[in-house]
Amino acid sequence: MIQMKSRLNVIDNSGAIVAECIKVLKNAKWAEVGDEIVVSVKKARPISDKTSGSLSAAKIRKGDVRRALIVRTKKEIRRPDGRYVRFDDNACVLLNNQQQPLGSRILGLVSAELRFKNWVKVVSLAP
Amino acid sequence: LEICSFSGYKIYPSRGRTFIRGDSRTFHFLNSKTESLFHQAKNPRKIAWTVVFRKMHRKGISEEVAKKRTRRAVKYNRAIVGTSWEAINARRNEKTEIRSAARAEAVKKAKEQRKNEAAKRKAERAKNPTADQKYSKQQARGAATKVQATSR
Repeated sequence: MIQMKSRLNVIDNSGAIVAECIKVLKNAKWAEVGDEIVVSVKKARPISDKTSGSLSAAKIRKGDVRRALIVRTKKEIRRPDGRYVRFDDNACVLLNNQQQPLGSRILGLVSAELRFKNWVKVVSLAP
Repeated sequence: LEICSFSGYKIYPSRGRTFIRGDSRTFHFLNSKTESLFHQAKNPRKIAWTVVFRKMHRKGISEEVAKKRTRRAVKYNRAIVGTSWEAINARRNEKTEIRSAARAEAVKKAKEQRKNEAAKRKAERAKNPTADQKYSKQQARGAATKVQATSR
């Protein structure tokens, strides 16, 4: 249940750490796992010219506006078998405008709902 | 079918919740009661109705453990001093007719023997009429002699 102003942890290695939702990209108030949102990066890992080689091509800085995919929510999600699953935090993965993940690795779990919403690339990156 | 991580009860489908913690550990809860207690960091070992508690305090286990232990006595075929095992076995497996026949024979024999003995005794008595008279010991000794006065 992510809405505007919700903060999420960024769990890929794009360089951002905390992102704040500024727009839910569907015709609803809230976004759940597997939904796209537009985020503003609130905290990012410091970028120095020396380490730029190890990062992905895009350099994420604080204040960047990017798209993101919600991968974990504290609000429980209903599974088709009737189970409800919820995580301990809200987390997202940064995407570019072509819906491809910006980072090359994903640290931490992602919800299994992503598979059903066709985010195969993200799912394959996750452990 | 899952087991509640807190209480140990079974969780049937479409019941309860699953919680995935930040360290990627998964916990299944049967209901909001167990979930709440978990998040209050209660120790299930101290909550009296949980399976963990009951196991620890060994409640309700006595019914399962009390199986019937029947010890069967093993039969041994042992010989006794005096008769060998075969003799015992032969005796045991004698047929009743044989046994009764043997018994009848023994009875007959005994009767005959007794008859013979009786006949013998009669014959002896006929020879010595007095020899067989019964005397008591006192009679055999004779009467005590009367003490005569020898001096006055």
